[in-house]
Amino acid sequence: MTRILTLTNHKGGVGKSTSATNIALGLTRVLRKMGAPNNRVLLVDTDSQGHATLVTTGRNDFGTEDSLYRVLMADRQQAPQVMADTIVQSHWDADLHVLPASPLLEGAERELMRVAGAPYRLAEPLSRIADHYAAVIIDTRPSFSLLTEMGLIAATDAIVPVEPRYLETVGLMSVIEKIADIRDGWRVPNLRISGVVVTKVDTRVRGHRYLLDQLKQHDILGRLFCGVIPANEAVSYAHSEHQSIFTYDPQASAGVAYLKLVGTLLHRVFKAGV
Amino acid sequence: MPKRNGTQKLDALLGSITADLIGGEQQPIAEHGLRVENLLMEMVRPDPVQPRRVLPETLHHSFHDNRLTPTQSLRELVQRVQVAARQRGRPFTNVLELLPDADTEQGDAEAKLSPEEQLLRDLVHLAVTIRDDGQVNPLTVVDASQGVTRLYRIETGERRYWATWLLRDFIPNYTGNGTIPCIVIPAQRSSVFRQAKENTARSGLTAIAMARQAALLLLTVHGYEIPAYAVNNDFYRQALELDLRGHREHTDAILSAMGGIDKRRFHQYKMLLKLSDDALELADRHAIDEKKLRYVVPLDSDLHTEFVQQIVDLNLTSRQVEEICAAGIDTAEAHTDDTVSLPAAALKLARLTLTSQKSTPQDIARALMQQEGDAKIARVRLQGMQKLLADAEEVLTSSIGLPG
Repeated sequence: MTRILTLTNHKGGVGKSTSATNIALGLTRVLRKMGAPNNRVLLVDTDSQGHATLVTTGRNDFGTEDSLYRVLMADRQQAPQVMADTIVQSHWDADLHVLPASPLLEGAERELMRVAGAPYRLAEPLSRIADHYAAVIIDTRPSFSLLTEMGLIAATDAIVPVEPRYLETVGLMSVIEKIADIRDGWRVPNLRISGVVVTKVDTRVRGHRYLLDQLKQHDILGRLFCGVIPANEAVSYAHSEHQSIFTYDPQASAGVAYLKLVGTLLHRVFKAGV
Repeated sequence: MPKRNGTQKLDALLGSITADLIGGEQQPIAEHGLRVENLLMEMVRPDPVQPRRVLPETLHHSFHDNRLTPTQSLRELVQRVQVAARQRGRPFTNVLELLPDADTEQGDAEAKLSPEEQLLRDLVHLAVTIRDDGQVNPLTVVDASQGVTRLYRIETGERRYWATWLLRDFIPNYTGNGTIPCIVIPAQRSSVFRQAKENTARSGLTAIAMARQAALLLLTVHGYEIPAYAVNNDFYRQALELDLRGHREHTDAILSAMGGIDKRRFHQYKMLLKLSDDALELADRHAIDEKKLRYVVPLDSDLHTEFVQQIVDLNLTSRQVEEICAAGIDTAEAHTDDTVSLPAAALKLARLTLTSQKSTPQDIARALMQQEGDAKIARVRLQGMQKLLADAEEVLTSSIGLPG
């Protein structure tokens, strides 16, 4: 079964899109290097801001006919084909495919609020085409909206990026509770929280070090802890060039950390030996 | 290190994380046999072809066509009732005000509630019961899940469903978690016969709902596909072409599911589907008996709504309806040879003269009040009618040369 990883946190600016895009590319590259028979990865952008779409495709002009919007509004029977037709190749790697977002997704969300079974509108077609990919990565918007709910219902694994601050940790609790509510409420028994990634870490800051230690020592969160991404300006520069951190500066500390994170996820989620 | 106070807060925070929240150990839900589950209210949907309708016709279709959420549907209902109640001099702002007050119950009983007011009052009452005593009786739902999409269609308990939404979104002190207890029936064990039995076993099924129920059973045994979306009356009217002949093996089951009625009664209910759409809706809203409606069926379909409205407004008995309708048919037949066609409203007014002695002035005054909701407007209407009748008498007088 293809693992579907959803990166979620209702707090904005914690590095969801950056992590989603770099994990997606990292998986493609590492699987290829491992000689995996299938190293195609699909990146699904459910955030109407479309940042993940912009950096991986170089475009932010997707509309009703060539974005996730079309998939969500499609007839149930036709949705898998529509999804397959809407997916584009990223300009980062031929094996990294993207289901692009559009600013119109907010409108779709309003329209779908009235539709029975709306929260499954991503999961349903994705379940039909997921086998084509080695992994699917879903980027979500910074809110607990219907689209975020869709991303989590479609997922097998939730990955929560979080900044090392007290209030962000408070937010982490509500994210974990929300995911549990979705798993139990919408009957997604396979959905589990598989990782907590601490982003924008500055080890010179005493509070960051303390919080990292506390998370690592925690009975449960310690086991979920899967990576530390240092604060690194190279990430911003890579974004502005519409490049991955691996391409922009393979030696950058954030790039090295993302590669390590990909290795951990392959081991933990995909049970692959790396 | 951060301050001690901050450390304690963080410890408390991290201490609230439990393994249950993380998940991954759960087993998929067993898909065999009946089970009782607390289902998220959003995953449960009323059956769009259920003969027993809870919401008024237009709201029913808007909801099932995905143009309204459950909350929006109820808000629309509440607003409609607010308008109707205001016109009757009973304005309210909170739905709880609809519940009868023991001190003023006598007065309220005199003022008849509109069907929508009665519906909302019943739902509020049920909602408050659920709030205070819990949902004792689970809904019966059919597992209508497809692929990974989880969806449950209500077989019985639609009123409880709407009452629970009302409780969640419109009534204070809801303490639930957004779920509703349901007995889940696997899709392959879904049965229109069981649904029909549940419907007819309880009181309150209107004659029109019985007609729809009869149609649904007939269509099912004749192999028609029952859609999973809201249908209009023409879908049920297909049953007018069908009967129980050739389906002896199903006849007993159908009649039993209809509450143990005989074939003749079954036919009488089915024939109600010949009524026009507006007449069907009106008759359903006001729960008019089949015994009254059967006399309206043979009339021209253009007259159906007017006649049903008269039944509602004047609270006619089945005998009165029979007499009026018989006169209506006679008049219509008499006019078939007549080259002059008269307006339907004039014909209706003329027919009313045949039964005018059966109503007292008090009844007419009360009926006018009920129709208009305002004594002044009712009086103006009456004065207009008086003038019209006086003018008509003048025309009669002059045309046949009677002395004035």
